[in-house]
Amino acid sequence: MKQKKAKKYGMVIDLDKCTGCGSCMVACMAENNVPFRKDESNKVLSITWMRVYKLTNGKPFPNTDICYLPRPCMHCEGQHEGHSPCVSVCPAIATDYSSETGVVSQIYTRCFGCRYCMASCPYHARYFNWWDPVWPDGMEKYLSPNVSPRMRGVVEKCSFCFHRYQLAKEKAFMEGRRELKEDEYQTACTQACPAGAITFGDLNNPNHAVHRMVKPDPKHHGRPTHPNAFRLLERLGTNPKVYYISSRDWVRRAGDNYLEHEAELKQTVHHG
Amino acid sequence: MSALDDNAKEIAEDTGGEGDATSSPEINTKKQDNRSAGPVILFFIIGLFASLSLGWIIFPKLLYSKKKQPIDFNHVLHMAEVEDGCESCHFFRADGTYSGVPKLDQCIECHEEILGDTPDEIKFFEEYVSKGREVPWLIYSRQPDCVFFSHAAHVKAAGMDCVTCHGHIGESESLKVYEENRITGYSRDIWGESIAGFKKNTWDRMKMDDCAECHRMTFNIEKTEVKTPTKRLIDHLIDVVSPGTSTSEKGSSVQTERDACFVCHK
Amino acid sequence: MKIGRRSFLSFLMGGAAGTALSPLPWKLMDDSAIWTQMWPWTPVPEDGEASYVNSSCTLCPGGCGITVRKINDRAVKIEGMKGHPVNNGGLCILGLSGLQLLYGPTRVKTPLKRVGKRGQGRWEKISWKDAVSEIAETLGDLREKGQSHTVGLISGSDRGTVPRLFERFLTVYGSPNFIRTPSIIDSYELTLHLMQGVQALPGFDFENANFILSFGSGILDGWGSPVRMFKANSVWRDTGAKVIQIEPRLSNTAAKSDKWIPINPGTEAALALGIAHVIISESLYDYNFINNYSSGFDDWKRFVLDNYGPDSVATITGIDDRTIIVLARSFARASKPLAICGRGQGITPGSLDECAAVHALNALVGNVNKHGGICAVTEPDYINWPEAEMDAKASAGMQKDRLDDAGSKKFPFSRYLLNRIPEAINSEKKYPLNTLFVAGDNPLYTMSDSKAVKKAFDKIPFVISFSSYMDETAQNADLILPNHVYLERYEDIPTPAGMPRPVIGLSRPVVKPQYNTQHTGDVIIRLAKALGETLSDAFAWDSYDACLKETLGYKWRVMVEKGFWSYPGFVAQPREESFDTVSGKFEFVRKGTGSLKPFKPVKIEGDKTNYPLILMPYDSLRLANGVIGDPPFVMKSVDDTVLKGTDVFIEINPKTAGEQGLREGQLAMLSTPVGKAKVKVHLFDGIMPGIVALPRGLGHTAYDEYLAGKGINFNELIGPVDDPVSGLDAAWGIRVKLAKA
Repeated sequence: MKQKKAKKYGMVIDLDKCTGCGSCMVACMAENNVPFRKDESNKVLSITWMRVYKLTNGKPFPNTDICYLPRPCMHCEGQHEGHSPCVSVCPAIATDYSSETGVVSQIYTRCFGCRYCMASCPYHARYFNWWDPVWPDGMEKYLSPNVSPRMRGVVEKCSFCFHRYQLAKEKAFMEGRRELKEDEYQTACTQACPAGAITFGDLNNPNHAVHRMVKPDPKHHGRPTHPNAFRLLERLGTNPKVYYISSRDWVRRAGDNYLEHEAELKQTVHHG
Repeated sequence: MSALDDNAKEIAEDTGGEGDATSSPEINTKKQDNRSAGPVILFFIIGLFASLSLGWIIFPKLLYSKKKQPIDFNHVLHMAEVEDGCESCHFFRADGTYSGVPKLDQCIECHEEILGDTPDEIKFFEEYVSKGREVPWLIYSRQPDCVFFSHAAHVKAAGMDCVTCHGHIGESESLKVYEENRITGYSRDIWGESIAGFKKNTWDRMKMDDCAECHRMTFNIEKTEVKTPTKRLIDHLIDVVSPGTSTSEKGSSVQTERDACFVCHK
Repeated sequence: MKIGRRSFLSFLMGGAAGTALSPLPWKLMDDSAIWTQMWPWTPVPEDGEASYVNSSCTLCPGGCGITVRKINDRAVKIEGMKGHPVNNGGLCILGLSGLQLLYGPTRVKTPLKRVGKRGQGRWEKISWKDAVSEIAETLGDLREKGQSHTVGLISGSDRGTVPRLFERFLTVYGSPNFIRTPSIIDSYELTLHLMQGVQALPGFDFENANFILSFGSGILDGWGSPVRMFKANSVWRDTGAKVIQIEPRLSNTAAKSDKWIPINPGTEAALALGIAHVIISESLYDYNFINNYSSGFDDWKRFVLDNYGPDSVATITGIDDRTIIVLARSFARASKPLAICGRGQGITPGSLDECAAVHALNALVGNVNKHGGICAVTEPDYINWPEAEMDAKASAGMQKDRLDDAGSKKFPFSRYLLNRIPEAINSEKKYPLNTLFVAGDNPLYTMSDSKAVKKAFDKIPFVISFSSYMDETAQNADLILPNHVYLERYEDIPTPAGMPRPVIGLSRPVVKPQYNTQHTGDVIIRLAKALGETLSDAFAWDSYDACLKETLGYKWRVMVEKGFWSYPGFVAQPREESFDTVSGKFEFVRKGTGSLKPFKPVKIEGDKTNYPLILMPYDSLRLANGVIGDPPFVMKSVDDTVLKGTDVFIEINPKTAGEQGLREGQLAMLSTPVGKAKVKVHLFDGIMPGIVALPRGLGHTAYDEYLAGKGINFNELIGPVDDPVSGLDAAWGIRVKLAKA
């Protein structure tokens, strides 16, 4: 009996509904005590666990099209469970993969800032604290006790709001339950999205909306079987747990970083 | 290391001075003659004992500053008054979070008026109750900010008792001196009374390894010889805290094969 | 005895061995590791009991419900309120960062009186008592001298108890100069007034519409109540409703629409009439509505058929006639079509002709006061205060003409014309303003032609700001009377922009006031009492909270509990009763406005030879451009193709940029007839050649270091263009010259 009840939390983002408003970014910052600096226009240094990218189809006026793509941490499962690009290179066991929830964790006090994980993450989902966080006088008052503020010299990233899982579990224990209901553990971005474009839940649970939306194929590391669904850089075999839905062909192709004249990816490609 | 060397030198000078005063010509001759091992050994022993006493006796005294709690507290007295044991004051909130050390509001439920005439009660009433100020209790079990500890998981779900981790604090009649680590700022109770970190009881220390002691057992349960009641408790505990992992050989952490880091960190 | 080298070494070895056998090194190592992991200067947020407070957001007219998470007495997170009729759980980027405003460094912490020159930033603290008596003295003097009409007020809104208290105050004091911040709502109100004879707000039943024809409205860029619009858009995605976006730039709305139709800017009215032409000539209109509920259709029909054939409209708008015909047919044939206007977020009211032409389309397809259509929403009259008694001084003051000419012979239909105030003051033709109150607006930032606005402000001897934050207007005021932030105060939030049903929200204190601030409502009451006479009689309440509680009556308890009051039974009036015009019907021809004159596009400033390109603003939710500036979190979300360092980017078509010899990222000098600015160039294919777009919301000189000094305020580059009928600002852009810097 191997891990019958193990969860695989994942996210589905409907790009047809996403309006690029940025609510998810700020909901995440406010929830997770993300620091800010005077100038945040250098996006390599700007810490945004959730970042909304703007994609364009590259066609001239008036055939131009744009699409917004919110990018949290993909919580990659890798080729075998937990072989995420970042987890497999961390020399400090500061980042870890939980087979119980499928969440890739980051323990800030454990991290010594070598940034291997950042180099290995193909999604640029990890950020380094080049400076100590500074909140203007009085503003520390809004810091949440559920997420520990980071110090200079460590890497941080989206945790799928894991503290919300911890809190939900505590409530469940209090009520004598062991399992969480679907709506009890939702990330801050999911909750805040005004368009309802983000769905979060257990990909292993056929009753959860995320499962119904993308129908992950267990034979192919959870590759989506829904025709409009895709994962970022599928061909790298990182097996992310964040899925996207778009009815626009160019967006789906852009999601796997196609070259301009490249033929369609053969569906038979899989590793290991 | 330089600080240690300095200490060693200081001690060496002290003991060296004494040695000079009591030195006999014999030893001097010996030393000159055949360079005997005697003084060398003696100095080795002096150095050894000096540093041992420094490390075992002086160091702990230097490391911890002693702080008194703002007022004394008698657990025995209170336990006799309440119905639900520890949870009467250290209760769980409806959302499953743990309230920890009671706030003034809770105390006032009973202490609205002065109860008794002990100096501590008078101080409590005058300094805190009447001024509406929270008592700045020093918390022996305070953990770093990166630690997430779910009392609900351990007490409500796994049915553990308070004593396992906190000891018999409910049987104390007064609060002991709070010893604060000058470097880390945490209480001595986290590392444990023994400066070497030895422990006799489960509640003697509160570091990550001490959590792991119990959590580790959960994953090699078939291999480890554990007493039956403990085994039952652990079985229960894992099943509740990490459903699905209890019968597996490994913990949920892919890195460590124990519990995943996010179980106890935030 | 001398200590030899060997002895000493031996001693050290003994020491080393002893040290190794003692816990000292291991314990020190462990402790220093803990120390380095938990720097004492990294804040450790205090834990405690979590609780939630339901309230309403007031940062924009959207009126979303919020649920604030608290730990002990700290507010730690703002979330959208589940089950709220406006936003049901979602929340916008600005609403989510509200705590940075509450606890932020830009708060005005106590009443301040200017000591240096205006705008120099030198202040002295003043007590509330002294502040109120100082104002009372000035106002009392003016009233004695028969100058009460020279007191003005700029208010962010004219609905809800606080604006109504202000209005009441000015009335019994004797000044007609209550001025509301303008927006597209002004044009809609006027359109509804002229065509339907009602004084009402426009309500749009978006959720039930299935074909949305948007004339440049930033449905997904902050138009109306933003979160509600996002939700509606998601409903349309699920139900397959169609959205057509007509505007020269590929905005977020255009990108998400089913079809983006670029149009020559400023010619939207012609397109609306061209669509009407097709609908009429192909008899696709709603016969029932036209025959039974409308008046003047035949005159209007002739006007449209004579002037707006698809081919001539194609020439004006730059959209080919085939597209216009297809668009008109699909609009008319849809079961629930809905046409809307108001460029971007609807910050400028725009041309009345345009608004009326778009509204006429709705009438043509008969979706006025209908499920899935547009309806006139009258504000619920929950504010029923006893009539205030006016003395002779007050009556004399109220007899005077308004400074902005609203309601005058020239602009008989308009109620407020803020855009005309700077000119009225600067030209000195009418009368001066001696005292100006500013509440819920930041005119020195939000009004166009910043230089003229500043000049006008400099002519007003006494400016009083009620701002909670040190914004541009507060910085240039003589006295700042800081209001509580919305998370610290009670206030009713009237029906949000564009809602088809009335909803009153309640903003309530989530935390105790953090500083020495006072509720503006309380200040008005105190001021009235200090002035005495009829004023104190008209403000008999003990406090604002008492006034609000009394006003809301039985609704109060429900609102405190739920956070809002909705009118579930509200239905748009049946058509028989909904038109209060002379004919009792929908008027296609607006009486007395010359609406049958052939279309002339709103002329923007600048000549084509000196200024070959057109500059237009664009609105983004990530750049708050109204009374509130971007908090740090929102600034963080701004793309690096919009702002880099302190440089703002203009968007320009690569073709146009090539003609001007400009490359991506290059610095350029932007000059308009009104102002000049240094900008960076961003090439964007999604913008019509010949147009340059600049975001609104940057270029603040006040607020904190996270916002101030970054980019350019669009209002420095554009001035108002009065609409000939309404007098409202109809400017949609300005001519511009772009050169390498």
